[in-house]
Amino acid sequence: MTLHLTEPRTDGTPAQSAESRKPVPRTSRRGSRPGGSSIDVQRKKLLIPFVGPAFVLYTVLFIVPALGAVWISLHKWAGSGPMKFVGLDNYGRIFRDQLFLSSFGNTLLLLFVVGTAIFVLAFALTLVLRDMAGKKIARNVIFFPHLINALVFGVLAGFIFNPGGMVNSLLAPLGVTDPPKWLAQDNIFPLIMVTLVCTTTGYFTTILMAGVDRIPPYYYEDCALAGASAFQRLRYVILPLTWDVFGTCAVLWTISSVKIFEIVWVFGGSSGAGVPPTQSWTAAVYTYVNAFSGQSTPAYGAATASAVLSLALISVLVVLLRRAMRRDAVEF
Amino acid sequence: MRQDKLLAPLTPVRRRPGRGVSPALRGERSILRGIGVTLLWMVVAISIAALVWMVAQAFRDTRAILDDPWGVPTSLDFGNFVRAWTVGDFAVATWNSLLTTVVSSVLTVAIAAPCSYYLSRVDNKLTQGLSLYFILGLGIPAQVILIPLFVMLNKVYLTDSIMGLNLVYIGVSMPFTVFLLTAFFRSLPLEMEEAAALDGTTAFGTFWRITLPLAKGGILTAFILQVISHWNETLLALTLLQSTEKYTLPVALISFVQQQTYSGADWGGLFAGLVIVVLPMLIIYVWLGRRLTEGLTLGMGK
Repeated sequence: MTLHLTEPRTDGTPAQSAESRKPVPRTSRRGSRPGGSSIDVQRKKLLIPFVGPAFVLYTVLFIVPALGAVWISLHKWAGSGPMKFVGLDNYGRIFRDQLFLSSFGNTLLLLFVVGTAIFVLAFALTLVLRDMAGKKIARNVIFFPHLINALVFGVLAGFIFNPGGMVNSLLAPLGVTDPPKWLAQDNIFPLIMVTLVCTTTGYFTTILMAGVDRIPPYYYEDCALAGASAFQRLRYVILPLTWDVFGTCAVLWTISSVKIFEIVWVFGGSSGAGVPPTQSWTAAVYTYVNAFSGQSTPAYGAATASAVLSLALISVLVVLLRRAMRRDAVEF
Repeated sequence: MRQDKLLAPLTPVRRRPGRGVSPALRGERSILRGIGVTLLWMVVAISIAALVWMVAQAFRDTRAILDDPWGVPTSLDFGNFVRAWTVGDFAVATWNSLLTTVVSSVLTVAIAAPCSYYLSRVDNKLTQGLSLYFILGLGIPAQVILIPLFVMLNKVYLTDSIMGLNLVYIGVSMPFTVFLLTAFFRSLPLEMEEAAALDGTTAFGTFWRITLPLAKGGILTAFILQVISHWNETLLALTLLQSTEKYTLPVALISFVQQQTYSGADWGGLFAGLVIVVLPMLIIYVWLGRRLTEGLTLGMGK
């Protein structure tokens, strides 16, 4: 950034103005050096006070622990006492651990199955909402669940799907006398998936809509003039122009789905000893239980190995997504 | 193939002129669309009803809720709230949550704003690298740092401490806040800063007296987004806090749910607890909703 002094400065008083009408050399006030105006030079000096605190806090409380996780995952450690270096043993061990495999599988289910459902629904909703009357109200309402702690949905589900709960009382008049055991250990995870679809779709709809709303209306007019069908308009106008937003959404979902923890933790209300049934564990739950549940000796190594694998999953997927979504940016 | 058809000058298709609006802007009146619109409004209605229902149940006692979950409260009975407040430790937890949320959000924004300003105004190899470094954190899920963070904080006696939790929240929020605010500062016009600089304002002065007032909106958005995420944060709080008097609301809620396994379900109290968790978010949303959705979608596209 450079400052352009195209006109000499004229100050208010006439006495001064005569003097200042002389061409003012560009380096007059603060003696700026080549390579930037004075303000730039000054600004550069703010590096330490401006960036420093954020950098230190972020590094100490985020990056160092993340690197620490990799370090701990290479050790056998119960949280106290000596750490024993075991190399990649922990990774081998968790891959032989049926519990980890099912937890990680659940995370993948959330990521791909729930993700696909959310995207299809969100895109359909976006198309419906695009030119609907009262779209602002509808959009604002479906966005709200994003602001609620997922715990709330988990607890509510416990109430609604109780054997004597609301769902069964709704089904009874329809002739369902033997409703499924919603909260049986095997059924909880599918129920969690459905709940997540319901509560997350609105958020992604809002983001996609922001993308669709950017498309200038004359494109649609063009389509109408050219006689494009609704499908053609979708295929050749809306999709290409919102492609980048889709990419962003996919990355966002990848990152947030791998973190899913609290809804699983309380889903169905109370779950015995405070740990949810193993069938519904995700990789995040596996990490937490192995380190902090207090039920067995903490296995910090295996727990962090699971977390590091989640991080690896995210990294790989984000790189792949970026590559897959990379297209010539459509300028408009 | 289709594209050719689209691009080639077709035989003009005659359309009846719309009333003022171009035909393209009017929605198609197909059955599929009708179904979609109906379904959408149903979802909207159910969402609102569910929220109202939840608040209503919080005013009924457990037996009434279980007998007839569809019922409405007959009187405004704050008994559940009083019980949740006193027995369920929600009073302390609410205070802790409030304190943690406000302190960590204020500090997060106060620390991230200057950093974002620097990253948005100085463009060189270093700042590009730093920006990338901050963005990196966006992709690291909380469970990765959970255990090392616990070990580290334990060493300096900051586990089971509200201060420790605050620190963690500030550190963890840096990537998103810096990312958001950098995008926001970039979108601000430079002219005012340049004018101020010409008038002899120092670099810090231009930030403090020109850019910050201009950026009030973006900073408020960043602050509110932090308030929401810190108010709802569960996993880190659950790990780092151990004693009841340090619990934040989500942790208190979890412990309340787990107590019920032994003491019988107190749905009245539980609904009161849920309302205490949800209501502040609702108030913020109604008050600042537009700002929020804009903030969350800012920089998503471009």
